[in-house]
Amino acid sequence: MRKYFKVLPLMVLVVTLLAGSVAGAQTIKFGLVAPFTGSGSILGDYIREAMMLAVDEINAAGGIEGRQIEVIVYDDEAAPATAINVVKRVIENDKVDVVFGPNMSSSVLAVHQVAADNETLMMVGATSPSLGYDRTGNPWLFRLRADDQVRVENQADYAVEVLGSKKPGIIYGTTDYCTSARDVIIARFAEHGIEPVAVEQMREGDVDATGQLLNMVRAGVDSIMGLTHESEAAVFVRQMRQMGVDVPIVGFTAWGVPAFTDLAPEAAKGVIAVQSFTPEDTNPVVQEFVQKYQARYGRLPSDPGQAYYDGVYAIKEVIERVGFDKHAMRQELENFSGYVGLQGELVTDEKHNLSRFSLISEFQGDGWKIIEKY
Amino acid sequence: MLQMVLQNSISGMAMGLLYGVIGIGVCLFWQTTGLINFAHISSAMLGAYFFYTFNVMWNFPIIIAFVLAVSLVALYGIVVLRGVVYKQIMGRKGGRLEFIVATMMLNIFLLNLVIVVWGGVPYPFPSIFGSPMNPLRIGRVAIQHHSLWVLAFTVALVIGLNYFFKRTLTGKALRATAQNKDTASLMGIGVGKMTALSFALSTGITAIAGILLAPIYFVSVELGGGIIGIKGFASAVIGGLTNPFGALVGGLLIGLAENFSVFYISSSYRDVITFVLLVFFLIARPQGLFKKM
Repeated sequence: MRKYFKVLPLMVLVVTLLAGSVAGAQTIKFGLVAPFTGSGSILGDYIREAMMLAVDEINAAGGIEGRQIEVIVYDDEAAPATAINVVKRVIENDKVDVVFGPNMSSSVLAVHQVAADNETLMMVGATSPSLGYDRTGNPWLFRLRADDQVRVENQADYAVEVLGSKKPGIIYGTTDYCTSARDVIIARFAEHGIEPVAVEQMREGDVDATGQLLNMVRAGVDSIMGLTHESEAAVFVRQMRQMGVDVPIVGFTAWGVPAFTDLAPEAAKGVIAVQSFTPEDTNPVVQEFVQKYQARYGRLPSDPGQAYYDGVYAIKEVIERVGFDKHAMRQELENFSGYVGLQGELVTDEKHNLSRFSLISEFQGDGWKIIEKY
Repeated sequence: MLQMVLQNSISGMAMGLLYGVIGIGVCLFWQTTGLINFAHISSAMLGAYFFYTFNVMWNFPIIIAFVLAVSLVALYGIVVLRGVVYKQIMGRKGGRLEFIVATMMLNIFLLNLVIVVWGGVPYPFPSIFGSPMNPLRIGRVAIQHHSLWVLAFTVALVIGLNYFFKRTLTGKALRATAQNKDTASLMGIGVGKMTALSFALSTGITAIAGILLAPIYFVSVELGGGIIGIKGFASAVIGGLTNPFGALVGGLLIGLAENFSVFYISSSYRDVITFVLLVFFLIARPQGLFKKM
């Protein structure tokens, strides 16, 4: 009898491992870390909805290589401190195979090392140039959208080459997202031989930009580059219209989403913005996604949902090519190409960005009209 | 250039009026309770969110939505702020510091409650104070219709409060209660009722301020967690804490100083100027600009 007790722990361990491997054979775990409360909560909803659409489509078609996808969702409140807690939990406790998110650049900066330490793939939609592989050196971190370097350079190019701007003004916020974009746009203008005549700051939460606007008028700006978050963008354009400042305004990504246009629908008319996605895109792949999304959720999809939808399918493609080994998956992602998603063909560049896709569009009151595609 | 200076002054005064409105609520609470309520700005946030819910989400007429929103916040003042926080602390002879810490925590609680109930996304406020796209124009200087509403409200409020505290029996009883509860009680004043009234008044008036602020700030948690609360407090301190008119002048001073610092120094220093002014007054003139009303 005693010898049975001696082998009992070993038997329990074997049974547990077997059970674990059987369960593991049936599912692949994805973690989603996104803001569902706090200032970025609307983004979290778009991300989750688009991601779950892809996951449910894949599961309905038999999963990835026969395994169903299981998604564990956490709210990071768009706050780096919370993001650290939930990313540690999703990687170390839930032991997911791939983490999607966080989506805020400051949160990703705070947590990406956790993914590296645990050798877990982290697929983010955050767009600050600070998160590129050239800056982080984190081989496990990949970005699902074009970074702001690409998009802000397109923004400056559009202002100079299409609008013919020679005396641009810049209004920027104080977060990493905004100040990185400011540095990129100033450098790009310099490449065109142009120096912005007014570079003005607007803190997050500011509700008056009269002084900044007057400084721009005084400097004689012939275009304004908007590099603030959504609420400040709404305050700025509204005051710009009120004061009758009549120059073209080109905003970066925060200026191309409903979170901005919903706050100032009248004033935003005529605003040109760099976008990663718009449901008005006539690309048939995008239109199919828009119809499925609308049928399921009763509203239009929005950036950055498309990036996470593409991300789920990219991981499926990777697994189908190299199997479930995480090192092989990471290696494949690093040299990834050949999959065409909502953002066109996904090709990983040297900064670990899977896409360089961006649009220049103009807001027309009831939607966006695409002017250029990059 | 003159037009630019004028435009900057008018916009600065419009913002200053908003700071002043919040400052008036701080003064009112100080005058009637002798305490500083650090959850003060939450009343403005709740007022805006309640109004938005009733008027925009539930389609109640503006007047009904307004009355309901302000009444609910006044009720919160009596039940939560007075019933739960104030009574508990005063019941065991707690001090002002405890009240300050408790109200700071209450502010954080309410902020998170709003995020849970309404979400953290700002909502556009309906244009009930005139379209922001068509301001009143004098020459090339634009004045918001909204600013005129705020001006009318604040002037009426200052005059009304002045009359209430100096001419009415209830106002005098409120002041007496704030000065010395025991003596007021001996004089036959219902101290409990007066305290309840002072909580309802200060939270209710701040709720109106919140509804007035919402077209500028949107219906957002910035109203309860942003810097507006601190600027309102600074306005009250600069004005002398006991004089609503002083708070208004303090607010105007901050609004103008901010806008001209952006215009002549740098937009990066906009908020710094508020704290420089506050520190200056605390050192050089702690009693504020104006004497007790």
